[in-house]
Amino acid sequence: MDLILASVLNKDENVAPLDALYLALIGIAVVFVVLIVLMLVIWLMGKIFDSSAKLREKHPELNQKLQNAKAKIMFWKKEQAQAEPAQEVANGTCGELKLINVEERDAAMIMAIVADNLGTPLNELRFISIKKVEDEK
Amino acid sequence: MDIGEILKNLGQSSGYYLFGEPEGWKSIIMIIVAFFFLFLGIKKKFEPLLLVGIAFGMLLTNLPGASDQLFHSDWWTNPAGVNYGEVLQHGGLLDILYIGVKTGVYPCLIFIGVGAMTDFGPMLSRPSSLVLGAAAQMGIYLVFILAACTGAFTGGEAASISIIAGADGPTAIFLTKQLAPQILAPIAVAAYSYMALIPLLQPPFMRLLTTKKERMAVMQTSRTVSKKEKIIFPILVTVIVCLLLPSVAPLLGCLMFGNLLKECGVTERLSDTAQNALMNIVTLFLGISVGATAVAATFLTTKTLIIVVLGLAGFVLATISGLLIGKFLYVVSKGKINPLIGSAGVSAVPMAARVSNQMGLKYNQNNYLLMHAMGPNVAGVIGSAVAAGFLLAVFS
Repeated sequence: MDLILASVLNKDENVAPLDALYLALIGIAVVFVVLIVLMLVIWLMGKIFDSSAKLREKHPELNQKLQNAKAKIMFWKKEQAQAEPAQEVANGTCGELKLINVEERDAAMIMAIVADNLGTPLNELRFISIKKVEDEK
Repeated sequence: MDIGEILKNLGQSSGYYLFGEPEGWKSIIMIIVAFFFLFLGIKKKFEPLLLVGIAFGMLLTNLPGASDQLFHSDWWTNPAGVNYGEVLQHGGLLDILYIGVKTGVYPCLIFIGVGAMTDFGPMLSRPSSLVLGAAAQMGIYLVFILAACTGAFTGGEAASISIIAGADGPTAIFLTKQLAPQILAPIAVAAYSYMALIPLLQPPFMRLLTTKKERMAVMQTSRTVSKKEKIIFPILVTVIVCLLLPSVAPLLGCLMFGNLLKECGVTERLSDTAQNALMNIVTLFLGISVGATAVAATFLTTKTLIIVVLGLAGFVLATISGLLIGKFLYVVSKGKINPLIGSAGVSAVPMAARVSNQMGLKYNQNNYLLMHAMGPNVAGVIGSAVAAGFLLAVFS
């Protein structure tokens, strides 16, 4: 529509009152048409959403089926994730660590500091034992 | 070294001396107008976020001598076009900021912020609100006819004046900068001033055109709108309306983009920025640079006076149109729609809706119309953007 109108009037020329009247009538018609189209679209959208909500209320079994389907999808996704090969673990992470007069929290901190200083990932290091050295009195 | 000569030159270069030059009195009048707007913004709290900026820009640009350091109005009204190279090299601060107005960037950015702050829920729950939003746009076209009848304005100017009736500042600026940049200052000032004066302008016509029974009509709560609908709406509107009227795309596209940021739920940071930081920055730049265009030499004319009067007529006609269609819907719906929400169809959000609510509460203390009036109010934003798009398409 605007392509047809584009060449009709020059913005730098005066508009005759009668032309202005015609233009105003077309303009208000355009505004009403556009907004009424939007009104219908919104109304239709509302009807669709309301009817699907009502359908679910009326037929709880359908809702149950939907929930089941969703649950199945979630389960399938979990299975997929579990089926993926586990990340390879570096040698040396296995085995036991002997703690002598050291609490687990301190041991974890020490291992982290050592790994950081060496610039080696913690799972590539093997700690055999950590012993607390008593201060000489 | 002649000290007397130095002092004489210093005195002659001062603004006080320049007031004495021919047409210096015009600057004094504009400074008084700026003071009045500052009073309205600060003391009366009329749209202070914009009015204070506009008033201060007006003040700066009308101080003789000082204005040359900040803004060059002749550069922007040059019929040969704007030399942006010169503006960037030799322009003052307000010249640089004005580029955003001239290119239409600020109104679009403001629309992103407005979209991010708008809840279309009330309109989606009651689609008939859109009819009220459309009705209030009749004021635009009635003023267009009036402006054309005066014979004092070109088609572009008449279109720009008429959009004041849309009660939508950014849209008025966006349209005027394209169709009639020479009258941008009076249009921007009139549009924002009347928007600020809505609580004073609308109530007398609301009382005049509605009966007590109509004003007391209680509206029932409409349906609840789902999140999905709110997300789909801005996308649908953009596609449908921009395909129908491509010239409306910059404004409506930005409005709907901002709204999508708010509703989609995954861009909270962007929505927050659009609503606050972006909106505040653009409002700051827009206010002061629009105010700067109100230079005495070009502002104090008979045309400005006619624009101010036509703008006022536009606001009144828009309010009346909305109320009349509201009355029609009241009859059609058998009293389920309160006609007071019709006046909220002018797009000054949320001021017009608040006025409808206050009027409703005055006659029935349990009648809260705010959410019902927000429907036509936001529909009015879309309506005025469509009206502007139509006028742009006609006069481009």
